[in-house]
Amino acid sequence: MKTPLRLAALLVVTAVPALAQQPVIEISGANFRPMPLALPVPLAQDDGAKGATAEFDAALQFDLQACGLFQVLDRKSYLSDSKEGVTASTITFQNWLNVGAESLVKTQLSKDGENLRGDLRLFNVNAGREELKVSEAVPLKDARRLAHKLANAVYKHFTKETGPFESRIAFVRKSASGKDVYVADWDGKNASAVSNGNINVLPAVAPDRSVAFTSYKRGKPELFIGRGGAEATLLVSNGRMVSGVDFSPDGKRIAYSVADGENAEIWVANADGSGGTKVTDTKYFLNSSPSWSPDGKKLAFVSNRAGSPQVYVMNADGSDVKRLTFQGNYNQTPAWSPRGDLIAFTARDERNAFDLFTVEVATGKIKRLTQDAKNNEEPSFSPNGRLILFTSTRGGSKSLYVMTFEGNNQVALPLDKGDFTTPDWGS
Amino acid sequence: MGMSTGKGGGRTTMAEINVTPMVDVMLVLLIIFMVTAPLIQQGVKVNLPATKAQPVEASDKKIVLSIDANKKVFIGEVEIELAELEEKLKANAKLQAEKELYLHADRDLPYGIVVDVMASAQRAGVTNVGMITDPMGTPKVSNDKPKKP
Repeated sequence: MKTPLRLAALLVVTAVPALAQQPVIEISGANFRPMPLALPVPLAQDDGAKGATAEFDAALQFDLQACGLFQVLDRKSYLSDSKEGVTASTITFQNWLNVGAESLVKTQLSKDGENLRGDLRLFNVNAGREELKVSEAVPLKDARRLAHKLANAVYKHFTKETGPFESRIAFVRKSASGKDVYVADWDGKNASAVSNGNINVLPAVAPDRSVAFTSYKRGKPELFIGRGGAEATLLVSNGRMVSGVDFSPDGKRIAYSVADGENAEIWVANADGSGGTKVTDTKYFLNSSPSWSPDGKKLAFVSNRAGSPQVYVMNADGSDVKRLTFQGNYNQTPAWSPRGDLIAFTARDERNAFDLFTVEVATGKIKRLTQDAKNNEEPSFSPNGRLILFTSTRGGSKSLYVMTFEGNNQVALPLDKGDFTTPDWGS
Repeated sequence: MGMSTGKGGGRTTMAEINVTPMVDVMLVLLIIFMVTAPLIQQGVKVNLPATKAQPVEASDKKIVLSIDANKKVFIGEVEIELAELEEKLKANAKLQAEKELYLHADRDLPYGIVVDVMASAQRAGVTNVGMITDPMGTPKVSNDKPKKP
């Protein structure tokens, strides 16, 4: 019989402390196949919950579809009555087997005072058994957040890992007069501006969710930081051109690039901007786009010291510089996976198209993630390293997309039309 | 569907291909086989045609499409309007993966109804149809046993 367990077949070798901790779905590997999951429309228990149903439903569908673990089955195929119950004894599992479902997720919404309460039950369709039951409550206006919380519970049930659905992302959106930095939920919704006019680019989300970015509002590029909705304040300015900040994973240090004429070097400083130290020294070359390793000991960056822009790694004090990419003549925007093993980057190929690749830090092995879909650039990993957020022009204007770290399941974020660039995925 | 006729004749190009004959050919290309009834436990009550054809071993995991004596169509035990059948099957991930279903139809049904349902299934992507029959039943049409040589 087909059970979800076969998805874990390859994984048994990895060191997991106890058998009970074994994930039900392993997310990668040659045998990976998304689990067919049925997700009928949420049942609203009262009129108060009815108004929130559509937003909740859209967010939950997107989370489960875009995370790459599941094949959310087409509702048009469903055979069960939409009023079917939510307990195992009231569900006709044969009807869910007949649409190919292996898992079934049923949700109920109700108004609980000023709160919206969501109950989610997850069923193993083959076994006809309830496997997970969770309840969460949020303020009535936060229906999407309720969906993200419940989606995280489902994600954790299958993978034993923390899901990415409550994390925050930052990105740049073009406005009529310039570019502004926004911070938003992982799906790009619930966005709020961090910068205020002029040209602001290259955001980085700190572990405490403050957002640093490069701003041209005083002429030369400088680093600013916005904390919790307050007006952004100056972070680093030293008379030269400062840009492209990245926070160390512990949030205590920042790396950025300082340009002076034809030369740009990587600097490392304390997270408050103090104690800046130059860590590269190449005089006539450009070094930029630093990205921290998850242990905070190393930096990946771009340098043209060998002629063309290539991805390098070095210790955070500037020692032990190693070139990592050798293919192509234009590799840039490295992003170090929080799992440590991969660095994603943008490469321009021989047809002048930009596409995303990963390189294994230990071996230098390259893997292509995007192809034949216009330009794909500026990767950023999810906090668990399982997903990559990036920009693509495949739909016309530059917008944000998400895919698995192996390049599967490429999905557009549900954004309004606009010009979106340089996303950064925070925690 | 259908052929578009260019006005004025002459050198107008045909804008569409007439696919009607192609659909007919495709229907002929459906792979049809017999399945024994006792293995298939179905809630929909149907008098099955009896047959002496060699049945294949049935799987109880396949989608069963039933048509009862009142010409009602069911997927499993859920009644589906014939007009919605194609869309339902097209959206069905299990069917799209397996391309196979079992047809569980009453033996007194008009041939036209059965063909309509099979055509819907075929348009929805089905390539293999298992006809569920009753090997134990009495054939309606007398069917003399061939003599052993």
